[in-house]
Amino acid sequence: MNWKRHLAVGSMALLFAMGFSAFAQDKDKSSAKPSDPQIVGVVTAADQIDIDTAKVALKKTKNDQVKQFAQQMIDDHTKLQSSVNDLGKKLNVKPAPSDISKSLKTAAAAETKKLQGLNGKAFDSEYINHEVAYHQQVLDAAGNVLIPNAQNAELKSALQGAAPLLQGHLDHAKQLQSSLGSSSGGSGSAH
Amino acid sequence: MAPSLTAWRVRQGMAVLLLLSASCISVAHPRFGVSNVRGAGLALVLHASGTASQNPTAAAPSANGQVIMKGIRFQPAELTVHPGETVEFRNEDIVAHTVTADDGSFDSGLIQPGSSWKMTVQKAGTLAYHCTPHPNMKATLVASSGAQMKETHGAAGGLPGFRPPRSPQELHPILVNFTAALLPLALFSDLLGLWLKRSSLHNAAAWMVLYAAIITPLTGAAGWWWKIKSAGTLPPELIAVHQWLGTSLALLFIVLAVWRWRLYRQDAVPTLAYLVFALVAVLALVYQGSLGGAMVFGRP
Repeated sequence: MNWKRHLAVGSMALLFAMGFSAFAQDKDKSSAKPSDPQIVGVVTAADQIDIDTAKVALKKTKNDQVKQFAQQMIDDHTKLQSSVNDLGKKLNVKPAPSDISKSLKTAAAAETKKLQGLNGKAFDSEYINHEVAYHQQVLDAAGNVLIPNAQNAELKSALQGAAPLLQGHLDHAKQLQSSLGSSSGGSGSAH
Repeated sequence: MAPSLTAWRVRQGMAVLLLLSASCISVAHPRFGVSNVRGAGLALVLHASGTASQNPTAAAPSANGQVIMKGIRFQPAELTVHPGETVEFRNEDIVAHTVTADDGSFDSGLIQPGSSWKMTVQKAGTLAYHCTPHPNMKATLVASSGAQMKETHGAAGGLPGFRPPRSPQELHPILVNFTAALLPLALFSDLLGLWLKRSSLHNAAAWMVLYAAIITPLTGAAGWWWKIKSAGTLPPELIAVHQWLGTSLALLFIVLAVWRWRLYRQDAVPTLAYLVFALVAVLALVYQGSLGGAMVFGRP
């Protein structure tokens, strides 16, 4: 149970990280620190985005390794999502929208559009490069923004506990990236 | 003068027989001596020959060691076991993991949260493994044949108490010693009988071949039991040869026994054809033993 909470917080951190990278681009817009409900909102959005992107990949890719990776993202992030929900209920924190979660969703919509237009190897390489950049951003955001700003101790430790899972996804995506030989592909849309 | 000379030759022959049987057993178990010395210093030969020490209180398929997957980690990150022992990998995480050898020698496939997967470690060595979906999960199994006496029999450090062998990992190495000793000795006894012109040595040879033919199918059955129980964790290229060569040898020994028994009933001296046939069988047996040793102790 405790571990689930860690994961939930971790996924929130992930979301926050994404928000953070969006945040860094729009410094004028908002310099407010995210509240706990906003952190939960960012994590929920980040989880959902990775699940949705993986669903696109599952439909389009013909590469077995990429398929397996996408399925794993769906499975792992669904679990993470449900632990975030459990923790939110337990702590009585409802996910709240924020500039971070909004810009996450905007960037994700653009990435999905880009992926829809690609096929074959070009698709695989864009998807995996995106996943590397995305998980890296989320990890950075978790460490720099989400964890430091989390007020609730359980939320904070859950965020810390989820970091190794995100690191695992990042390492897995990097392995795929080098086995696909596509490290030079563009990942500019990852924010 | 003549009788004492004969007696001396017989004694010399007996000594050579003993040496030969010893060398046959050590070929079948290449690291035998080393593992005993590293262990308790003194050990019963049969008991030490590659048998797994098992948890005496638990049921047969129970695990000797456990690794928990939790928090995107294998805990403990390094587990020491002994060849023949079973390790249980239990997933207490919220996501699915795999237990995959870095060298590709084993792979659990996805282990869902709340499930576990068991693997029997077949040979000594260090096995590095990871989780395929989460490559940052890395851990090591150390399979050591040397320390098994000391570790499994407690801090007291005494000799293990006697337990009847129950698992194929115990039965197969015990039974194989009989096969490994009887066949070469039967051949040697016939050769010595020809040289010394003593019919009693030929009679002994006939009986030894008969015993070998009776006991070897049991050895083979224990081997097959081990193989089935290990569920694909034995080195595939070694076990493929070992299982069929072993089965062929068990049948070959029966043919050999029938042949030898007919010669015995006719009170005949073994023919050259028989001796050549027996020699081929012995050489095949030595090769078979080296394959078995390689699987239990690793290759030198």
